[in-house]
Amino acid sequence: MRKQRIKVRICVGTACFVQGGADLLLYGDFLDPELLGECDIEGTSCLGGCKAESRDRKAPFVEINGTLHANVTPALLVELLREVAHA
Amino acid sequence: MLEINNQYTLMKRRIDTEVLKAFFAGDLEEIVDTLPIKIIPRERVPNRCCVYKERAMVRYRIMSLLGVDIDRDDDELKPLRKFVQETLAQDPPVLPTLTTISPGCSSCPDEQYHITDSCRGCFARPCMANCPKDAIVFVNGRARIIEERCVNCGKCLEVCPFHAVVHIPVPCEEACPVDAIKKNAEGFVEIDHSKCISCGHCARSCPFGAIVERSGLFPVVKMLTSGTPVVAMIAPAIDGQFPGNLAQIKAAVLALGFAAVVEVAQGALVTAEHEAAELSGRMQAKQGYLTTSCCPAYMELADKHLPFLQNRRSSALSPMAYTAKLCAQRIPDSKRVFIGPCLAKKVEASKIDEIDGVISFSELAALFIAKDIDVREMQPVPPEDTLAFQDCREFACSQGVAHSVLRRVADPEAVRVLPVDGVDRKTVRTMKVWEKRPPEADLVEVMCCEGGCLAGPGVVVNPKLALRLRQGGNVAKVGAIPLRK
Repeated sequence: MRKQRIKVRICVGTACFVQGGADLLLYGDFLDPELLGECDIEGTSCLGGCKAESRDRKAPFVEINGTLHANVTPALLVELLREVAHA
Repeated sequence: MLEINNQYTLMKRRIDTEVLKAFFAGDLEEIVDTLPIKIIPRERVPNRCCVYKERAMVRYRIMSLLGVDIDRDDDELKPLRKFVQETLAQDPPVLPTLTTISPGCSSCPDEQYHITDSCRGCFARPCMANCPKDAIVFVNGRARIIEERCVNCGKCLEVCPFHAVVHIPVPCEEACPVDAIKKNAEGFVEIDHSKCISCGHCARSCPFGAIVERSGLFPVVKMLTSGTPVVAMIAPAIDGQFPGNLAQIKAAVLALGFAAVVEVAQGALVTAEHEAAELSGRMQAKQGYLTTSCCPAYMELADKHLPFLQNRRSSALSPMAYTAKLCAQRIPDSKRVFIGPCLAKKVEASKIDEIDGVISFSELAALFIAKDIDVREMQPVPPEDTLAFQDCREFACSQGVAHSVLRRVADPEAVRVLPVDGVDRKTVRTMKVWEKRPPEADLVEVMCCEGGCLAGPGVVVNPKLALRLRQGGNVAKVGAIPLRK
Protein backbone atom coordinates (compact mmCIF):
# COMPACT_ATOMS: atom_id res chain seq x y z
CA MET A 1 0.00 0.00 0.00
CA ARG A 2 1.23 3.45 -0.79
CA LYS A 3 2.20 5.51 2.18
CA GLN A 4 0.26 8.68 2.96
CA ARG A 5 2.20 11.77 2.04
CA ILE A 6 3.13 14.11 4.87
CA LYS A 7 1.44 17.48 4.65
CA VAL A 8 3.68 20.25 5.93
CA ARG A 9 2.56 23.85 6.13
CA ILE A 10 5.19 26.37 7.15
CA CYS A 11 3.68 29.56 8.51
CA VAL A 12 4.96 32.57 6.61
CA GLY A 13 2.97 35.15 8.50
CA THR A 14 5.28 38.06 9.24
CA ALA A 15 5.75 37.15 12.91
CA CYS A 16 6.86 33.60 12.12
CA PHE A 17 8.84 34.59 9.07
CA VAL A 18 11.08 37.11 10.80
CA GLN A 19 11.53 35.07 13.95
CA GLY A 20 13.23 32.16 12.26
CA GLY A 21 10.47 30.84 10.01
CA ALA A 22 12.27 32.14 6.93
CA ASP A 23 15.14 29.73 7.54
CA LEU A 24 12.68 26.83 7.38
CA LEU A 25 12.00 27.73 3.76
CA LEU A 26 15.50 26.50 2.98
CA TYR A 27 14.19 22.99 3.68
CA GLY A 28 15.64 21.82 0.40
CA ASP A 29 19.09 22.31 1.94
CA PHE A 30 18.67 20.58 5.27
CA LEU A 31 16.08 17.86 4.72
CA ASP A 32 17.20 14.44 3.66
CA PRO A 33 16.14 13.99 0.02
CA GLU A 34 14.39 10.73 0.85
CA LEU A 35 12.35 12.39 3.57
CA LEU A 36 11.73 15.37 1.33
CA GLY A 37 10.24 13.00 -1.23
CA GLU A 38 7.55 11.94 1.23
CA CYS A 39 6.47 15.46 2.07
CA ASP A 40 4.26 18.06 0.48
CA ILE A 41 5.66 21.30 1.84
CA GLU A 42 4.08 24.70 1.36
CA GLY A 43 4.29 28.14 2.86
CA THR A 44 1.01 29.28 4.27
CA SER A 45 -0.67 32.41 5.59
CA CYS A 46 -0.65 32.97 9.33
CA LEU A 47 -1.74 29.80 11.08
CA GLY A 48 -2.83 31.81 14.11
CA GLY A 49 -0.28 30.30 16.45
CA CYS A 50 1.19 33.70 17.27
CA LYS A 51 -2.18 34.97 18.47
CA ALA A 52 -2.18 32.37 21.25
CA GLU A 53 1.50 32.51 22.13
CA SER A 54 2.47 31.32 25.55
CA ARG A 55 5.76 31.14 27.36
CA ASP A 56 6.71 27.81 25.79
CA ARG A 57 4.92 28.09 22.49
CA LYS A 58 6.38 30.82 20.33
CA ALA A 59 6.90 31.54 16.64
CA PRO A 60 7.82 30.07 14.24
CA PHE A 61 4.93 27.64 13.82
CA VAL A 62 4.64 24.70 11.45
CA GLU A 63 1.65 22.43 10.87
CA ILE A 64 2.42 18.78 10.14
CA ASN A 65 -0.54 16.59 9.16
CA GLY A 66 -2.86 18.95 10.99
CA THR A 67 -0.86 19.26 14.21
CA LEU A 68 0.55 22.69 15.06
CA HIS A 69 4.13 22.75 16.34
CA ALA A 70 5.79 25.77 17.98
CA ASN A 71 9.41 27.00 18.23
CA VAL A 72 10.33 25.10 15.09
CA THR A 73 13.96 25.22 14.04
CA PRO A 74 15.42 23.44 11.01
CA ALA A 75 16.77 20.73 13.34
CA LEU A 76 13.41 20.28 15.05
CA LEU A 77 11.62 20.13 11.70
CA VAL A 78 13.87 17.28 10.60
CA GLU A 79 13.20 15.47 13.86
CA LEU A 80 9.42 15.96 13.69
CA LEU A 81 9.24 14.78 10.09
CA ARG A 82 11.32 11.70 10.86
CA GLU A 83 8.96 10.82 13.68
CA VAL A 84 5.92 11.17 11.45
CA ALA A 85 7.54 9.28 8.57
CA HIS A 86 8.49 6.34 10.79
CA ALA A 87 5.26 6.22 12.76
CA MET B 1 30.74 35.30 10.48
CA LEU B 2 27.61 34.00 12.14
CA GLU B 3 24.46 33.14 10.23
CA ILE B 4 21.99 36.01 10.04
CA ASN B 5 19.47 34.23 12.21
CA ASN B 6 20.75 32.71 15.39
CA GLN B 7 19.59 32.52 19.00
CA TYR B 8 21.04 35.95 19.66
CA THR B 9 19.56 37.83 16.70
CA LEU B 10 16.19 36.20 17.26
CA MET B 11 16.27 37.24 20.91
CA LYS B 12 17.20 40.76 19.88
CA ARG B 13 14.25 40.90 17.52
CA ARG B 14 11.98 39.66 20.26
CA ILE B 15 13.18 42.34 22.68
CA ASP B 16 12.66 45.03 20.02
CA THR B 17 9.13 43.76 19.47
CA GLU B 18 8.23 43.73 23.17
CA VAL B 19 9.58 47.24 23.68
CA LEU B 20 7.65 48.56 20.68
CA LYS B 21 4.46 46.83 21.73
CA ALA B 22 4.70 48.50 25.12
CA PHE B 23 5.46 51.84 23.47
CA PHE B 24 2.42 51.65 21.22
CA ALA B 25 0.28 50.56 24.14
CA GLY B 26 1.44 53.69 25.94
CA ASP B 27 2.92 51.99 28.98
CA LEU B 28 6.58 51.64 28.03
CA GLU B 29 7.83 53.88 30.83
CA GLU B 30 5.76 52.01 33.34
CA ILE B 31 6.77 48.47 32.42
CA VAL B 32 10.19 48.81 30.80
CA ASP B 33 12.05 47.86 33.97
CA THR B 34 10.07 44.63 34.22
CA LEU B 35 10.66 43.65 30.58
CA PRO B 36 13.97 41.83 31.20
CA ILE B 37 12.18 39.62 33.73
CA LYS B 38 9.20 39.08 31.47
CA ILE B 39 11.46 38.13 28.54
CA ILE B 40 13.76 35.93 30.63
CA PRO B 41 11.47 34.13 33.08
CA ARG B 42 12.92 32.19 36.00
CA GLU B 43 12.05 28.88 34.33
CA ARG B 44 14.09 29.55 31.22
CA VAL B 45 17.06 27.30 30.58
CA PRO B 46 19.67 29.99 30.13
CA ASN B 47 22.20 30.18 27.31
CA ARG B 48 24.46 32.31 29.45
CA CYS B 49 25.61 31.42 32.96
CA CYS B 50 22.26 32.20 34.59
CA VAL B 51 18.95 33.96 34.00
CA TYR B 52 20.23 37.00 35.89
CA LYS B 53 23.01 37.62 33.45
CA GLU B 54 20.58 37.11 30.59
CA ARG B 55 18.29 39.71 32.12
CA ALA B 56 21.18 42.10 32.46
CA MET B 57 21.95 41.61 28.77
CA VAL B 58 18.30 42.23 27.86
CA ARG B 59 18.55 45.47 29.80
CA TYR B 60 21.59 46.44 27.75
CA ARG B 61 19.84 45.55 24.51
CA ILE B 62 16.93 47.79 25.49
CA MET B 63 19.43 50.57 26.22
CA SER B 64 21.02 50.18 22.79
CA LEU B 65 17.57 50.17 21.22
CA LEU B 66 16.95 53.46 22.98
CA GLY B 67 20.12 54.74 21.34
CA VAL B 68 22.16 54.90 24.55
CA ASP B 69 25.93 54.88 24.08
CA ILE B 70 26.59 52.12 26.56
CA ASP B 71 30.35 52.71 26.46
CA ARG B 72 29.87 56.12 27.92
CA ASP B 73 26.55 56.04 29.70
CA ASP B 74 26.36 52.75 31.54
CA ASP B 75 24.81 54.03 34.74
CA GLU B 76 23.75 50.92 36.59
CA LEU B 77 21.83 52.89 39.17
CA LYS B 78 19.64 54.45 36.53
CA PRO B 79 16.40 52.58 35.89
CA LEU B 80 15.46 51.89 32.25
CA ARG B 81 12.48 54.17 32.76
CA LYS B 82 14.87 57.14 33.04
CA PHE B 83 16.60 56.14 29.80
CA VAL B 84 13.21 55.94 28.09
CA GLN B 85 12.26 59.40 29.35
CA GLU B 86 15.53 60.86 28.11
CA THR B 87 15.24 59.30 24.65
CA LEU B 88 11.62 60.39 24.30
CA ALA B 89 12.49 63.92 25.39
CA GLN B 90 15.49 64.30 23.10
CA ASP B 91 16.89 62.27 20.22
CA PRO B 92 20.24 60.76 21.19
CA PRO B 93 23.21 61.60 18.93
CA VAL B 94 23.56 59.25 15.95
CA LEU B 95 27.31 58.62 16.15
CA PRO B 96 29.14 56.48 17.00
CA THR B 97 27.08 53.73 15.43
CA LEU B 98 28.48 50.91 17.52
CA THR B 99 28.91 50.45 21.23
CA THR B 100 30.11 47.64 23.45
CA ILE B 101 28.72 45.80 26.45
CA SER B 102 31.77 44.85 28.43
CA PRO B 103 29.94 42.60 30.96
CA GLY B 104 28.75 40.61 27.93
CA CYS B 105 32.23 40.22 26.47
CA SER B 106 33.73 36.83 27.05
CA SER B 107 37.30 38.21 26.92
CA CYS B 108 38.23 35.61 24.33
CA PRO B 109 41.90 34.55 24.56
CA ASP B 110 44.18 35.96 21.86
CA GLU B 111 44.01 34.40 18.42
CA GLN B 112 45.94 31.15 18.41
CA TYR B 113 46.54 27.79 16.79
CA HIS B 114 46.29 24.86 19.11
CA ILE B 115 47.13 21.19 18.70
CA THR B 116 44.45 18.99 20.17
CA ASP B 117 44.45 15.45 21.55
CA SER B 118 43.71 14.18 18.06
CA CYS B 119 47.42 14.45 17.26
CA ARG B 120 48.67 10.94 16.57
CA GLY B 121 52.33 11.90 16.72
CA CYS B 122 52.88 10.60 13.21
CA PHE B 123 56.21 9.80 11.62
CA ALA B 124 56.00 12.18 8.68
CA ARG B 125 55.33 15.17 10.97
CA PRO B 126 54.12 17.51 8.22
CA CYS B 127 53.30 20.18 10.81
CA MET B 128 56.89 20.36 11.91
CA ALA B 129 58.26 20.17 8.38
CA ASN B 130 56.03 22.98 7.14
CA CYS B 131 56.32 25.36 10.08
CA PRO B 132 58.34 28.36 8.87
CA LYS B 133 59.28 29.40 12.39
CA ASP B 134 60.29 26.07 13.94
CA ALA B 135 57.52 26.58 16.43
CA ILE B 136 56.46 22.94 16.66
CA VAL B 137 58.08 20.53 19.07
CA PHE B 138 57.17 17.00 20.04
CA VAL B 139 56.53 16.29 23.69
CA ASN B 140 55.50 12.82 24.83
CA GLY B 141 54.96 11.79 21.23
CA ARG B 142 52.60 14.67 20.46
CA ALA B 143 53.07 17.92 18.62
CA ARG B 144 52.93 21.14 20.58
CA ILE B 145 53.17 24.75 19.49
CA ILE B 146 55.66 27.06 21.18
CA GLU B 147 53.57 30.19 21.53
CA GLU B 148 56.45 32.67 21.50
CA ARG B 149 57.58 31.48 18.08
CA CYS B 150 54.21 30.96 16.44
CA VAL B 151 53.18 33.65 13.95
CA ASN B 152 49.66 32.30 13.39
CA CYS B 153 50.28 31.45 9.74
CA GLY B 154 48.12 28.33 9.89
CA LYS B 155 50.39 26.11 7.79
CA CYS B 156 50.24 23.30 10.38
CA LEU B 157 46.44 23.35 10.27
CA GLU B 158 46.48 22.97 6.51
CA VAL B 159 48.83 20.01 6.43
CA CYS B 160 47.76 17.88 9.42
CA PRO B 161 46.14 14.71 8.01
CA PHE B 162 44.20 14.16 11.25
CA HIS B 163 42.81 17.70 11.53
CA ALA B 164 44.42 17.84 14.94
CA VAL B 165 45.18 21.54 14.68
CA VAL B 166 42.46 24.03 15.52
CA HIS B 167 42.36 27.73 14.88
CA ILE B 168 40.85 29.68 17.77
CA PRO B 169 40.07 33.20 16.57
CA VAL B 170 38.78 36.24 18.39
CA PRO B 171 35.65 36.56 16.26
CA CYS B 172 35.24 40.33 16.47
CA GLU B 173 38.91 41.06 15.82
CA GLU B 174 39.00 38.61 12.95
CA ALA B 175 35.91 40.13 11.36
CA CYS B 176 37.11 43.73 11.61
CA PRO B 177 38.72 44.66 8.29
CA VAL B 178 40.58 47.65 9.74
CA ASP B 179 41.92 46.55 13.13
CA ALA B 180 39.58 48.88 14.95
CA ILE B 181 38.86 46.34 17.66
CA LYS B 182 41.19 45.88 20.55
CA LYS B 183 41.00 44.46 23.99
CA ASN B 184 41.59 46.83 26.85
CA ALA B 185 43.81 46.14 29.83
CA GLU B 186 41.07 44.05 31.47
CA GLY B 187 40.70 41.98 28.32
CA PHE B 188 37.31 43.40 27.31
CA VAL B 189 36.41 44.53 23.83
CA GLU B 190 36.94 48.14 22.86
CA ILE B 191 36.27 49.90 19.57
CA ASP B 192 38.67 52.50 18.26
CA HIS B 193 36.16 54.85 16.69
CA SER B 194 38.84 56.78 14.83
CA LYS B 195 39.50 53.63 12.81
CA CYS B 196 36.00 52.09 12.74
CA ILE B 197 34.21 52.18 9.38
CA SER B 198 30.83 51.09 10.80
CA CYS B 199 30.57 48.03 8.58
CA GLY B 200 29.06 46.11 11.49
CA HIS B 201 31.02 42.93 10.82
CA CYS B 202 32.10 42.75 14.48
CA ALA B 203 28.57 43.01 15.78
CA ARG B 204 27.53 40.24 13.43
CA SER B 205 30.42 38.04 14.49
CA CYS B 206 30.32 38.22 18.27
CA PRO B 207 28.50 35.10 19.48
CA PHE B 208 27.98 36.72 22.90
CA GLY B 209 26.28 39.83 21.56
CA ALA B 210 28.81 42.09 23.27
CA ILE B 211 28.94 44.57 20.39
CA VAL B 212 25.71 46.29 19.50
CA GLU B 213 24.53 49.01 17.18
CA ARG B 214 22.92 52.05 18.72
CA SER B 215 19.48 52.07 17.25
CA GLY B 216 17.83 55.07 15.65
CA LEU B 217 14.39 53.51 15.91
CA PHE B 218 12.91 55.73 18.60
CA PRO B 219 13.50 59.03 16.83
CA VAL B 220 11.67 57.51 13.85
CA VAL B 221 8.77 56.16 15.89
CA LYS B 222 8.45 59.58 17.47
CA MET B 223 8.37 61.18 14.02
CA LEU B 224 5.58 58.82 12.99
CA THR B 225 3.42 59.88 15.93
CA SER B 226 4.24 63.59 15.60
CA GLY B 227 1.87 64.35 12.75
CA THR B 228 4.56 65.48 10.28
CA PRO B 229 4.39 63.44 7.07
CA VAL B 230 7.26 60.94 7.01
CA VAL B 231 8.51 59.41 3.78
CA ALA B 232 9.95 55.90 3.91
CA MET B 233 12.83 55.35 1.53
CA ILE B 234 13.22 51.63 1.10
CA ALA B 235 16.57 50.20 0.06
CA PRO B 236 16.65 47.88 -2.97
CA ALA B 237 17.56 44.98 -0.68
CA ILE B 238 14.09 45.02 0.92
CA ASP B 239 12.68 42.74 -1.76
CA GLY B 240 13.06 39.25 -0.34
CA GLN B 241 13.24 40.34 3.31
CA PHE B 242 9.57 39.74 4.04
CA PRO B 243 6.93 37.32 2.88
CA GLY B 244 4.84 38.72 0.07
CA ASN B 245 5.84 40.79 -2.93
CA LEU B 246 7.34 44.25 -3.17
CA ALA B 247 3.94 45.91 -3.65
CA GLN B 248 2.73 44.26 -0.45
CA ILE B 249 5.85 45.28 1.45
CA LYS B 250 5.21 48.86 0.37
CA ALA B 251 1.62 48.60 1.56
CA ALA B 252 2.81 47.25 4.89
CA VAL B 253 5.25 50.15 5.31
CA LEU B 254 2.43 52.59 4.59
CA ALA B 255 0.29 50.84 7.18
CA LEU B 256 2.87 51.78 9.80
CA GLY B 257 1.93 55.40 9.31
CA PHE B 258 4.43 56.56 6.70
CA ALA B 259 2.95 59.17 4.36
CA ALA B 260 4.67 57.74 1.30
CA VAL B 261 7.04 54.99 0.38
CA VAL B 262 9.73 55.54 -2.24
CA GLU B 263 12.16 53.02 -3.67
CA VAL B 264 15.79 54.01 -3.29
CA ALA B 265 16.31 52.24 -6.63
CA GLN B 266 15.00 55.50 -8.07
CA GLY B 267 18.05 57.31 -6.73
CA ALA B 268 20.20 54.39 -7.79
CA LEU B 269 19.26 55.20 -11.36
CA VAL B 270 20.80 58.67 -10.97
CA THR B 271 23.90 57.13 -9.39
CA ALA B 272 24.24 54.57 -12.20
CA GLU B 273 23.86 57.22 -14.91
CA HIS B 274 26.37 59.49 -13.21
CA GLU B 275 28.88 56.68 -12.79
CA ALA B 276 28.41 55.52 -16.37
CA ALA B 277 29.20 59.00 -17.70
CA GLU B 278 32.17 59.34 -15.37
CA LEU B 279 33.47 55.91 -16.36
CA SER B 280 33.24 56.65 -20.07
CA GLY B 281 35.04 59.95 -19.54
CA ARG B 282 37.86 58.33 -17.59
CA MET B 283 38.26 55.56 -20.12
CA GLN B 284 38.42 58.00 -23.00
CA ALA B 285 41.00 60.13 -21.22
CA LYS B 286 42.88 57.00 -20.11
CA GLN B 287 42.81 58.11 -16.49
CA GLY B 288 42.72 54.67 -15.01
CA TYR B 289 40.22 52.92 -12.82
CA LEU B 290 37.07 54.28 -11.20
CA THR B 291 35.50 52.78 -8.10
CA THR B 292 31.86 52.86 -7.17
CA SER B 293 30.81 55.08 -4.28
CA CYS B 294 27.50 53.75 -3.02
CA CYS B 295 28.76 51.55 -0.18
CA PRO B 296 29.08 53.88 2.82
CA ALA B 297 31.38 51.53 4.75
CA TYR B 298 33.72 51.62 1.76
CA MET B 299 33.52 55.43 1.74
CA GLU B 300 34.58 55.40 5.39
CA LEU B 301 37.32 52.91 4.55
CA ALA B 302 38.71 55.20 1.87
CA ASP B 303 38.44 58.27 4.09
CA LYS B 304 40.08 56.72 7.12
CA HIS B 305 42.48 54.14 5.75
CA LEU B 306 43.01 54.42 1.98
CA PRO B 307 43.03 58.16 1.25
CA PHE B 308 44.50 57.68 -2.23
CA LEU B 309 41.15 56.19 -3.26
CA GLN B 310 39.36 59.47 -2.60
CA ASN B 311 39.99 60.67 -6.15
CA ARG B 312 39.49 57.20 -7.57
CA ARG B 313 35.95 56.75 -6.35
CA SER B 314 33.06 58.13 -8.31
CA SER B 315 31.82 61.60 -7.47
CA ALA B 316 28.27 60.29 -7.71
CA LEU B 317 26.22 60.53 -4.54
CA SER B 318 24.71 57.38 -3.13
CA PRO B 319 21.25 56.19 -4.18
CA MET B 320 20.03 57.11 -0.69
CA ALA B 321 21.25 60.70 -1.05
CA TYR B 322 19.68 61.20 -4.49
CA THR B 323 16.44 59.63 -3.34
CA ALA B 324 16.30 61.89 -0.30
CA LYS B 325 16.83 64.99 -2.44
CA LEU B 326 14.14 63.78 -4.82
CA CYS B 327 11.67 63.24 -1.97
CA ALA B 328 12.49 66.61 -0.43
CA GLN B 329 11.54 68.28 -3.70
CA ARG B 330 8.46 66.22 -4.29
CA ILE B 331 7.03 66.26 -0.79
CA PRO B 332 8.23 69.42 0.93
CA ASP B 333 7.74 69.80 4.68
CA SER B 334 8.15 66.08 5.11
CA LYS B 335 10.68 64.06 7.05
CA ARG B 336 12.61 61.28 5.36
CA VAL B 337 13.65 57.94 6.79
CA PHE B 338 15.93 55.42 5.14
CA ILE B 339 15.04 51.78 5.73
CA GLY B 340 17.88 49.46 4.83
CA PRO B 341 20.21 46.65 5.80
CA CYS B 342 23.17 48.89 6.52
CA LEU B 343 24.79 50.29 9.62
CA ALA B 344 27.25 52.61 7.90
CA LYS B 345 24.33 54.37 6.21
CA LYS B 346 23.82 56.10 9.55
CA VAL B 347 27.23 57.71 9.23
CA GLU B 348 26.43 58.82 5.70
CA ALA B 349 22.94 60.01 6.62
CA SER B 350 24.31 62.14 9.44
CA LYS B 351 26.08 64.22 6.80
CA ILE B 352 23.02 64.69 4.58
CA ASP B 353 20.47 67.34 5.58
CA GLU B 354 17.59 65.71 3.72
CA ILE B 355 17.68 62.53 5.80
CA ASP B 356 16.10 62.53 9.24
CA GLY B 357 16.45 58.93 10.32
CA VAL B 358 17.75 55.46 9.50
CA ILE B 359 16.32 52.14 10.62
CA SER B 360 17.17 48.57 9.70
CA PHE B 361 15.05 45.82 8.16
CA SER B 362 15.29 44.01 11.45
CA GLU B 363 13.77 46.99 13.25
CA LEU B 364 11.14 47.29 10.53
CA ALA B 365 10.27 43.65 11.19
CA ALA B 366 9.82 44.42 14.89
CA LEU B 367 7.54 47.32 13.95
CA PHE B 368 5.42 45.02 11.76
CA ILE B 369 4.99 42.48 14.53
CA ALA B 370 4.32 45.09 17.20
CA LYS B 371 1.64 46.65 14.99
CA ASP B 372 0.26 43.25 14.00
CA ILE B 373 0.86 43.82 10.30
CA ASP B 374 1.05 40.69 8.20
CA VAL B 375 2.86 41.63 5.00
CA ARG B 376 1.55 38.68 3.03
CA GLU B 377 -2.05 39.63 3.73
CA MET B 378 -1.65 43.25 2.65
CA GLN B 379 -3.57 44.65 -0.28
CA PRO B 380 -0.70 45.49 -2.67
CA VAL B 381 -0.20 49.14 -3.56
CA PRO B 382 -1.48 50.03 -7.03
CA PRO B 383 1.05 49.27 -9.79
CA GLU B 384 3.58 52.04 -10.34
CA ASP B 385 5.70 52.83 -13.35
CA THR B 386 9.08 51.50 -12.25
CA LEU B 387 10.40 50.51 -15.65
CA ALA B 388 13.07 53.21 -15.78
CA PHE B 389 14.76 52.20 -12.55
CA GLN B 390 13.74 48.64 -11.77
CA ASP B 391 17.01 47.16 -13.00
CA CYS B 392 18.73 49.32 -10.37
CA ARG B 393 17.19 47.16 -7.66
CA GLU B 394 20.24 45.04 -8.41
CA PHE B 395 22.29 47.55 -6.45
CA ALA B 396 21.54 45.29 -3.49
CA CYS B 397 23.56 42.38 -4.85
CA SER B 398 27.24 42.01 -5.46
CA GLN B 399 28.01 42.95 -9.08
CA GLY B 400 24.60 44.54 -9.36
CA VAL B 401 25.96 48.08 -9.33
CA ALA B 402 28.46 47.20 -12.03
CA HIS B 403 25.70 45.69 -14.16
CA SER B 404 23.54 48.77 -13.79
CA VAL B 405 26.45 50.99 -14.80
CA LEU B 406 27.42 48.77 -17.75
CA ARG B 407 23.89 48.94 -19.09
CA ARG B 408 24.33 52.69 -19.34
CA VAL B 409 27.65 52.96 -21.14
CA ALA B 410 28.05 52.95 -24.92
CA ASP B 411 30.37 49.97 -25.10
CA PRO B 412 29.95 47.66 -22.09
CA GLU B 413 32.14 45.02 -23.74
CA ALA B 414 35.15 47.27 -23.42
CA VAL B 415 34.81 47.79 -19.66
CA ARG B 416 36.90 45.57 -17.42
CA VAL B 417 35.06 45.12 -14.14
CA LEU B 418 36.62 44.09 -10.86
CA PRO B 419 34.03 43.27 -8.21
CA VAL B 420 35.25 43.48 -4.61
CA ASP B 421 32.70 41.24 -2.96
CA GLY B 422 33.09 41.72 0.77
CA VAL B 423 35.87 43.59 2.53
CA ASP B 424 38.00 41.78 5.08
CA ARG B 425 41.53 42.26 6.37
CA LYS B 426 43.01 40.61 3.32
CA THR B 427 41.01 42.73 0.89
CA VAL B 428 42.20 45.88 2.61
CA ARG B 429 45.80 44.72 2.22
CA THR B 430 45.19 44.07 -1.48
CA MET B 431 43.58 47.45 -1.93
CA LYS B 432 46.52 49.18 -0.23
CA VAL B 433 48.73 47.90 -3.03
CA TRP B 434 46.61 49.72 -5.61
CA GLU B 435 48.32 52.94 -4.64
CA LYS B 436 51.52 51.70 -6.25
CA ARG B 437 50.11 49.18 -8.70
CA PRO B 438 46.60 50.02 -9.92
CA PRO B 439 44.24 47.10 -10.51
CA GLU B 440 43.81 45.98 -14.10
CA ALA B 441 40.25 47.17 -14.34
CA ASP B 442 38.26 50.16 -15.44
CA LEU B 443 35.43 49.84 -12.93
CA VAL B 444 35.95 48.55 -9.42
CA GLU B 445 32.73 47.77 -7.61
CA VAL B 446 33.21 47.70 -3.85
CA MET B 447 30.72 46.11 -1.47
CA CYS B 448 31.84 45.77 2.13
CA CYS B 449 29.43 42.93 2.87
CA GLU B 450 30.04 39.68 1.03
CA GLY B 451 27.15 39.12 -1.36
CA GLY B 452 26.19 42.79 -1.27
CA CYS B 453 23.61 44.62 0.81
CA LEU B 454 21.50 41.46 0.96
CA ALA B 455 24.04 40.30 3.55
CA GLY B 456 24.16 43.58 5.49
CA PRO B 457 24.12 43.60 9.27
CA GLY B 458 20.50 44.73 9.44
CA VAL B 459 18.82 42.06 7.31
CA VAL B 460 16.23 39.54 8.46
CA VAL B 461 16.62 36.77 5.94
CA ASN B 462 19.49 34.47 5.07
CA PRO B 463 20.98 36.04 1.90
CA LYS B 464 20.68 32.75 0.06
CA LEU B 465 16.95 32.67 0.66
CA ALA B 466 16.58 36.40 0.02
CA LEU B 467 18.07 35.92 -3.46
CA ARG B 468 15.51 33.22 -4.12
CA LEU B 469 12.59 35.26 -2.80
CA ARG B 470 13.43 38.36 -4.80
CA GLN B 471 11.07 38.71 -7.71
CA GLY B 472 13.67 38.87 -10.37
CA GLY B 473 15.85 41.70 -11.43
CA ASN B 474 18.77 40.20 -9.55
CA VAL B 475 22.06 39.20 -11.02
CA ALA B 476 21.80 35.53 -10.22
CA LYS B 477 18.60 35.16 -12.17
CA VAL B 478 19.10 37.70 -14.93
CA GLY B 479 22.86 37.72 -15.36
CA ALA B 480 22.54 39.55 -18.64
CA ILE B 481 26.12 40.67 -19.20
CA PRO B 482 28.94 38.35 -18.25
CA LEU B 483 31.57 40.34 -16.37
CA ARG B 484 35.07 40.55 -17.75
CA LYS B 485 37.83 40.16 -15.25
